[in-house]
Amino acid sequence: MWPFDHGGGVLALYIGTLALHAVFVAYVLAGSAFALVRRQDPIAATVRDRLPFMLGCGITAGVAPLLFVQLLHQRRFYTANLLLGPRWFAVVPALIVGFYALYLAKASDKWRRIALGVALACFAFVAWSWSELHELMQADPEWAAFYAAGHRLFTAATIAPRFVTAIGAMATLFATVAAWATDDAGRKRLAAIALAGRTVSILGAVWLWRAGFSVDGPAVAWFGILAAATALDVAAWALVLRRPTDLVLALATGGGTAALLAAAVVREAPRVALIEVHAQAEVSGGAVVFAVALVVGAAAIAWIVRQIRA
Amino acid sequence: MTVPHYPVNDFGPLMKGLVIGGVGIVHVFLAQFAIGGGMLLWYFERLSQRGQERDARAFVDGFFPVLVLVSFVLGALTGVAIWFTTIQVGARTIGLMLDQFHWLWATEWVCFSVEVVSGYAFYKIGHRLDPKARLRLLALYAIAAWLSLFFINGILSWQLTPGSDPGSVWRGFFNASFWPSLLYRTCVAMALAALAACVVINTMELERERRGALIHRAARFATPIAVMPLLAGWYFAILPEDSRSWLLGGSAPMMMFVGVAAGASFLIGGYAVVALIIKRVNISGATATLLLALAFGATAAGEFVREGARKPYTVRGVLYSTSITPDEVAGLRATGVTADDPYPLRDDARYANDQLRRGARVHRALCDACHTLHGANALVELTHSWTDDQMRLNLAKLQHTKSFMPPFAGNADDVEALVQFLRWETKDTPATWPVTTTPPEIAMWLDEAGLR
Repeated sequence: MWPFDHGGGVLALYIGTLALHAVFVAYVLAGSAFALVRRQDPIAATVRDRLPFMLGCGITAGVAPLLFVQLLHQRRFYTANLLLGPRWFAVVPALIVGFYALYLAKASDKWRRIALGVALACFAFVAWSWSELHELMQADPEWAAFYAAGHRLFTAATIAPRFVTAIGAMATLFATVAAWATDDAGRKRLAAIALAGRTVSILGAVWLWRAGFSVDGPAVAWFGILAAATALDVAAWALVLRRPTDLVLALATGGGTAALLAAAVVREAPRVALIEVHAQAEVSGGAVVFAVALVVGAAAIAWIVRQIRA
Repeated sequence: MTVPHYPVNDFGPLMKGLVIGGVGIVHVFLAQFAIGGGMLLWYFERLSQRGQERDARAFVDGFFPVLVLVSFVLGALTGVAIWFTTIQVGARTIGLMLDQFHWLWATEWVCFSVEVVSGYAFYKIGHRLDPKARLRLLALYAIAAWLSLFFINGILSWQLTPGSDPGSVWRGFFNASFWPSLLYRTCVAMALAALAACVVINTMELERERRGALIHRAARFATPIAVMPLLAGWYFAILPEDSRSWLLGGSAPMMMFVGVAAGASFLIGGYAVVALIIKRVNISGATATLLLALAFGATAAGEFVREGARKPYTVRGVLYSTSITPDEVAGLRATGVTADDPYPLRDDARYANDQLRRGARVHRALCDACHTLHGANALVELTHSWTDDQMRLNLAKLQHTKSFMPPFAGNADDVEALVQFLRWETKDTPATWPVTTTPPEIAMWLDEAGLR
């Protein structure tokens, strides 16, 4: 099945782990914004408490797609990294500053506002940097001139709309995760955020399309799934505004999850034809060990979650 | 055979080895502490539950888990930083390692994920769990953390001793230096955790005797430090002959770093065994902190030795530090190293002529990975006293000039261009510089030097 006939299991793992990573980082980025803007909201206290943990999970979950993208697009990923150079490297100190700012926001009333503002700026910078890197990876005709000019910032018409689309989707994802840990009134407030986020991401997607991003060939079917899942998600969130039950929220979560996975495939579509084949990687052993570790690891994490809930 | 070309960044006076070393040493220190810390927490929890140490529970629920938490989060961040730094320093090396070991790397990620989730869970809900669940959670953390070391150790040790079949994943993973390296790092992790525990125990508001009892337990935990000299000996015994001779006298700086690592480890181990375990001395917070700082120094020196021992390779026998494989040298001798490089110079207008531009590109391709022009390990400083012909000969026969250097992977014109470029830099980059003809001896010297 396209696109998994290219890149095989690695592409599937890349998309799956990228989606998981997106859930955590969406909570961190949109949650920081929520906790900053809605400081008095009862949900904000829970969000503040969870943010450092969610960032830890986001970084850990991010290692897997970072690993798999290097198998799929090694030359492009490394080249874009090198072209952006020290500016790209700034994402690491930004994450460290953001991480400790979240702890400060959790611990100190006095510094909360500033700390959340700093954290939000750091995470937005990281998100923008990834959008920029994503575009630069595919801009190979420009690499030599970009390098010769000594630029450290890559500009392309598609970067800003890609960023806006992601930010909007992050707001919806944050609302989805946060809604499971709050009461009916809280769910209604989060539903408004989820719908606003979807509106922004749809507008961002239209902007992205007008800036040159196109969906062609077999990707059209995935775009159809994305559109249907988004419609379901929007309808369910609209219903949450009136009836914030677990069932309706589950519907919104299901629609959102399907939309996230389909969006990850559509996002990847232009790069599918660019996937590199590495002879050694093709025959490299250890897949069984990984599969066993994945099952055992998932079981261990499930046990931990059960302990937490108990 | 096409050599992949990547854009090269100049870090000014900073040698690239120092950049990756700086990030790597911090990461290794934090990650090893987080591994040992998990094991130590489990040990103390077990002592508490068996009624063998009445204050062990206070320790486990005190500040130490916070320290472990901070360490594994910072360890994760510096781990990502290492990845990005390695791409900056040697993209082809990390790509090669990934092609070879990606499933095992992914397995390491699973272990690390379990480590993070269990560590956080203990920090958040450990106090309200029943004893059995507490012990299980800590065991899960400790096992997952150690397994992440197990997997990454196989990948990293492969760089030094990939064996005769570098393409085989499992023979590569369980390579000659795998076990001594793994056991040595496990001992280091336990020693680091014990020292940090001694610092934390000294901050606990307990009577002197009760603090002493906890310190004695922590010291016992560090007992494996006693076998570290044996493990180090084992590690040295399996090193390739040239690497060993290079560490034990062939290179003064490397020998010095071996001495620092061994000396610092000996001091820490000696103090732990004699003062803490045999004499049962109550170590103060200040002394424990000093020993921890010394352990950082030992870690730094040890990592420097590990990196240096691979020269002139990043993966022994497979990839030179110039990111060129031994099989590619012959082709580059024929075409020249800059022929297929698509990246122009960033400062093209700075050079007085095209030969200097070529020299700058040769430097970028063959020298920049380990040398700077005017900073650390500066080529201008290293070569300024050589005559022109001496420089031509030394560069053409590079692997014979210094046994830890790779063969020159370019043609005679590349050698001449590099000589002129270095001379021009030595003379403070004058506005005009004569273009020279490549002396015929260079081609002869390159042939004499051979390809390996």
